[in-house]
Amino acid sequence: MIVTAKSPDGTEIGKAERHYHPQATNCRDTKMKYGAQWKVANLRDTSLQPYQTKADTIEFDLPAGVRTAEVTVDLVYQAVNPDNSYPIHSVTNTVTLDR
Amino acid sequence: MKSLKLLLVLFLVVLPFAAGAGQTEKKAKTIDELVEMYDSSGCKDCHAEIYTQWEKSHHARPLMGVKGGLMLTPLATKGATAFSPDDPQRATIKNFPCFKCHLPQALISAEDSVAVELAQALVAQDATKVAKLRITCTVCHNARAIIHKRELGEPEKGVLYSSKKDIDAHPDKTFTKVKKSAIMKNAIFCGQCHGLGPNLEFDQPFQCANLYGSYLHSYIPAGGTHTCQECHMKKGDHVIAPNFNDDKQTSELLAQAISLDVQTLGYEWLRKAKDYTPKVVVNTKITTTAGHRIPDG
Repeated sequence: MIVTAKSPDGTEIGKAERHYHPQATNCRDTKMKYGAQWKVANLRDTSLQPYQTKADTIEFDLPAGVRTAEVTVDLVYQAVNPDNSYPIHSVTNTVTLDR
Repeated sequence: MKSLKLLLVLFLVVLPFAAGAGQTEKKAKTIDELVEMYDSSGCKDCHAEIYTQWEKSHHARPLMGVKGGLMLTPLATKGATAFSPDDPQRATIKNFPCFKCHLPQALISAEDSVAVELAQALVAQDATKVAKLRITCTVCHNARAIIHKRELGEPEKGVLYSSKKDIDAHPDKTFTKVKKSAIMKNAIFCGQCHGLGPNLEFDQPFQCANLYGSYLHSYIPAGGTHTCQECHMKKGDHVIAPNFNDDKQTSELLAQAISLDVQTLGYEWLRKAKDYTPKVVVNTKITTTAGHRIPDG
């Protein structure tokens, strides 16, 4: 999940990512491995679980003078490597401090 | 002397064949021979739609990874993995533990020379040759159709197994009968390959898919009742999506299973007197109804 905040002029003022996936090592060192031929067992699992909700809170501090931001949340599936992405959902909200 | 010779001929030539009937099937020495043994192209004469679906599936390109990547290349590359041979010429079936699921027929029907040929093809990045090796119709509908072998025996030669019903006269030269499989509608049928976790039965464990483990230990306890086939093979669809080579379809499938809720808030946070920090808060909630963790395979 990639969360991006932009000021009204299009300047990126914040970006955060969350990664949801099982993470495995070879059980001989502490380095995470990709690829079945190197992985031996999961040591952490942040993946999406059936019928469970994964909740996250991301905060951005707005730079001086910026009172409105366009926030976009892109949920993508990445297979094999981060360059091979499948968009799932994209939600954009405009947030303003002015009333 | 003559009768001694005859006895010797009987002992050396005839007896091994008699003893091995049904056990020592001739094995493929080349990739082409293995392909020929498990060739299912005849199925499309009557099952054209299913065959076309299968051709788009990952089952039709189990050694090709996503978008044509020759994913087994490290296994043929000296020093790249614990399984890799020092020389492709010396590769054996044991150098390719992935065959357990990615090419199960190799474990049943291939000589080590097939592993040599595959290792050489991988080193040469010969995608055309590697792509010949596929999980064909007969792999699922025969070789993997029975798991209760103590009770039901091995899959029979000349018999296809289906999820539906027995057919006494199946119009095919090789597979003249169809029998109903006890497990083909059950999740465990897919679970034979779409794994439980680490493959500890090998002399060097490795972990590929965990999907069936996730189904058993997360989805079922959460009250899930569907089988793999009910979601991934609706109306007998043999694409068995996702097909990661089809970006649009994969995105749509994921969007069906996963929901995203986004709530945003803007306010000025007061850290200390008169020191306001303008802030945007983004609350996200992602929920999945899939029968397994995402991602998994």
